Amino acid sequence: MLLPWEYGVRNLARRPVRTTLTLFALSTVVMLVFVVVGFIRGLEQSLAVSGDENVVLVYSVNSEENIENSSIAAQTPSLLTASLDSAVTRFGVSHVSPELYLGTRVKTEEGDGGLGLVRGVGFGTPLVRRSVKLIEGNWPGDGEVMVGRLAAAKLGSSDHAMTVGKSVEFEGRVWKISGRFAAGGAAYESEIWCKLSDFQATTKRQDLSLVAMLLSPGNSAAEVELFCKERTDLELRAIRETDYYATLQQHYRPVRMLAWFVVLLISGAGVFSGLNMMYGAVAGRIREIATLQAIGYGRLAILVSLIQEGVLLAASGSLLSGVIALTLLNGLAVRFTMGAFTLRIDSIAILIGCGVGLLLGVLGALPPAMKALRSEVATSLKAV
Amino acid sequence: MKMFYSVAVMGLSFITIGCGSSDVTTLSNADRVEFGSHFMAESEPSGAIRVGEAREKTLDGQEVTLIGLIGGSSKPFVEGLAAFTIVDPKVPCCAADEGCPTPWDYCCETDAVKENIAMVKIVDDSGRPVTQDARDFLSVKELSTVVVKGKAERDDQGNLTVAANKIFVRPGK
Repeated sequence: MLLPWEYGVRNLARRPVRTTLTLFALSTVVMLVFVVVGFIRGLEQSLAVSGDENVVLVYSVNSEENIENSSIAAQTPSLLTASLDSAVTRFGVSHVSPELYLGTRVKTEEGDGGLGLVRGVGFGTPLVRRSVKLIEGNWPGDGEVMVGRLAAAKLGSSDHAMTVGKSVEFEGRVWKISGRFAAGGAAYESEIWCKLSDFQATTKRQDLSLVAMLLSPGNSAAEVELFCKERTDLELRAIRETDYYATLQQHYRPVRMLAWFVVLLISGAGVFSGLNMMYGAVAGRIREIATLQAIGYGRLAILVSLIQEGVLLAASGSLLSGVIALTLLNGLAVRFTMGAFTLRIDSIAILIGCGVGLLLGVLGALPPAMKALRSEVATSLKAV
Repeated sequence: MKMFYSVAVMGLSFITIGCGSSDVTTLSNADRVEFGSHFMAESEPSGAIRVGEAREKTLDGQEVTLIGLIGGSSKPFVEGLAAFTIVDPKVPCCAADEGCPTPWDYCCETDAVKENIAMVKIVDDSGRPVTQDARDFLSVKELSTVVVKGKAERDDQGNLTVAANKIFVRPGK
């Protein structure tokens, strides 16, 4: 025969201070798990949505898989379109985007700022970068830039400093913000975009960093790669954009592994603190447990009731943390080496966070309850 | 009992989902051997010249037999096509005891590679590159010594590509 459900619930209410403190401790542990898992999920999501499998990137073979280090000849786009028919062409316009990409110090009007990512783009860029949407203002003209949704986070600045009409300074020139754009969580969202020719003139560069091509149906990135390997004099390499971001995923693998390790450590610490708390709670109830045994409740029934208390508390803590994480943490911009991304409290994060929370409830309650039940009833009844 | 059936049904569902057919088409071992046999030469073609020499002497459209080692960059194979770059055997690559993870990229001899590299693309009867990764059906890998026979394609910049229809892989490498 099991103990009534209400027995466990009322027991929690009998010691409100202890219950509140335990709830707070459990919520904190689960919240930490949410933060770390949200970080991992945000980073993974940002890299996963950044690539378009129909886009192939052509850049310098000497750039060590880092586009910022790439420098290719300015005539590369025309050479590619003349030599290959792989790119989409509509109304005589090839969907090819020559780009100059640079990491440079950017200062806002408010005087703050940091290392920003600036991309010189042309009118062909939106044809290739199909996830980019202008959400406010206009496409940049001469002396103007449009900023990504997360550009302020990347610079460590405020959103207010990066609004349309304000200005930023980089490469020794002041640029007016003409618009803001979003890209569905892709890496571009932490970038600042300006006119390619303007950027080349300002940086006194005539070269490009990369050429992005939108492949027409039936064509594969292999054809572009073959062309690059045949033309060894150009020193180019081609890679499907999704593969490029997959290599970045690999690059950040140690960071992700470390983050998962942190999740493990936090969970472990949570279990131990839960154990400590439950040992204390059960130690003070030895006589009560013995009395329950004396009036006929089996050990299993008492064990289930104690676990029920632990799980109830842990579930409440998980729920509380889940609500806070979803309302306050989800979508919070995080600055990172590659740019910026948002914390992502998605279904996986909720599952892991709540799973860890419930596990804390069960694992925390089990050993002390079993220890208490192992004692002789007669001895326990006399316990002080 | 009910619970046992539920668990069994769930388990079977997972197994069924897990064993679903994949969209990726790969050649079976038998197909691989048969497909590769169309392009593999039974014996080493005679009169093979080194890549560096071929870059100096070969004209566009000329039939040529080349010998070289697969390499020249960290990824000498073109993904999804039967194509790869080969380097003149006279160019030394990092020795095994140097601990270089990718000795086939000739990282210590980049200048020498520029004048001693050629692209090899295995072509079908219509002259189009075979759309299978060369590693899948030719039993080749980085630093394999190959002898290829085909038509040379030259450009004004001195690049050499061989549209090969026969390939011989020297054993042991």
